[in-house]
Amino acid sequence: MDLVQQTLWGWNIAIYLFLGGLGGATVALAILGELRFNMGKWFGIIVSILGMAILAFGLIFLIIDLINPFRFLLAFWIKGIGHSWIARGMIVITGVFIFGPLYALATFFDWPRFKKWMGYIAMFCGFGVTTYTGLLLNANVGIPFWHTPALPVLFTVSAFSTGCALIMLILAAMKSEEAHHFFHFIEGFDIFLISLELLLIFAYFDFARLGNAAVMKSAHLLLNNPLFTIGFVILGLVSPLILEAYASTKEHSKGLAAFASVLVLIGGFLLRYLIVWAGVFQYPHGIAG
Amino acid sequence: MARYGMVMDVTSCLGCRACMAACSQWNQTPFWAEDFKGKWRTRVTELEEGKFPETHKVFFPTICMHCENPPCHSVCPTGATYINKDGIVLIDYDLCLGCGYCIEACPYDARYEYEKEDLEKDEFYFGEDARHHQVHVDKCTFCVDRLAEGIEPSCAATCVGHARIFGDLDDPNSEVAKLVNSGKAKPLSPYLGVHPKVYYIK
Ligand code: SF4
Ligand code: SF4
Repeated sequence: MDLVQQTLWGWNIAIYLFLGGLGGATVALAILGELRFNMGKWFGIIVSILGMAILAFGLIFLIIDLINPFRFLLAFWIKGIGHSWIARGMIVITGVFIFGPLYALATFFDWPRFKKWMGYIAMFCGFGVTTYTGLLLNANVGIPFWHTPALPVLFTVSAFSTGCALIMLILAAMKSEEAHHFFHFIEGFDIFLISLELLLIFAYFDFARLGNAAVMKSAHLLLNNPLFTIGFVILGLVSPLILEAYASTKEHSKGLAAFASVLVLIGGFLLRYLIVWAGVFQYPHGIAG
Repeated sequence: MARYGMVMDVTSCLGCRACMAACSQWNQTPFWAEDFKGKWRTRVTELEEGKFPETHKVFFPTICMHCENPPCHSVCPTGATYINKDGIVLIDYDLCLGCGYCIEACPYDARYEYEKEDLEKDEFYFGEDARHHQVHVDKCTFCVDRLAEGIEPSCAATCVGHARIFGDLDDPNSEVAKLVNSGKAKPLSPYLGVHPKVYYIK
């Protein structure tokens, strides 16, 4: 077997995967806050638009990674919808950009029934965006570290964790009773998500320990990279988990939780970048030369 | 309708790389690129086999395997990558977005980017006869244009050692079908489940 670390996808794709997941999760959580936690119409409108803006900004990085960015519109020629995750991704992203604004509009004009429908569909599309970023990498059969069902789960959990972090940052600056209530819900949800993420990372490496040569090589690359061990695992997962767990037991600790949120956001980006970086092809002997 | 395939007889490859030259001339692939390993539709790599001191050199020709269940096709969002009626995996350049998803998905490293610099070089070397006019992802086509005229792919036609045997796998009398059906020629990494139509005699 010839093991070759992939180099085609780098920073741009990692930034896209990160912002896509963050944007999708933010849209979903913003609508959740407004529909279910009485966060008020302006919270729903502004934060869901913020989520869409993040997603749109992320798309720029995808576009500049094309060999000819001007051909981007062809991405809407979704003939590969039956089998391609980029094509399916384009559908859910378009869905966010159609139903998100419709939801914001309905919220603005107070059309309750319409708002609910649009809100739930936009939430579903936002959720779809977080999931598809993992499924996208999953389809690359030549890279065994990506070609596992754990990856989409890991990316979805991480995307929602970064979404929670962003929402917490916003809520930390708000004073209302509802904001306080929603903050605690999100904090608890994030603690759950980070714990799940730690479990998934552990499972990933336990799987790699007994995996084939390419999987082992990927795991080896990550474990020897301080950006992963110290940057992602310690600063991006374990520290915010401890900080948030501690903060959740105290009354006036929003500052601490906000600091933890920043760590989660950095960790979320590092995870995308490092997983993409550590993709190792397993070519039959002779192919790579 | 045929089901075209190729058998690579590694034992008779001399390593002359005439196939690489012929292919790159016929298909105008970036032979000008700096990285000698990078942009070829077909490559011949040099391997060392055996344990020291009993080592010997082996030349190993590779191309797109024209998989029957090709991951490059499943990931392609625009349908640019398609499979023609003869089982050949092709790219419609007009539809190719250049996302590179297929390059990542191919487990045999068969694809590369035909970039802007390459278009300029193509025009520089081939002038009016230049065949590439837009950026796209490129790979072996089994020389469909030659097949349409009833001639073999240029690599097989030029092979000095008869190491590349091309033919219809569905025709039991063809040399390829005989080699494959007898079990003499085997695919690479069959466990991937992509069912390559290029087989190797090692
Ligand atoms: S070898 Fe690669 S490019 Fe060729 S058909 Fe198979 S997956 Fe596609
Ligand atoms: S680079 Fe072109 S052929 Fe490859 S997946 Fe993207 S659109 Fe399809």
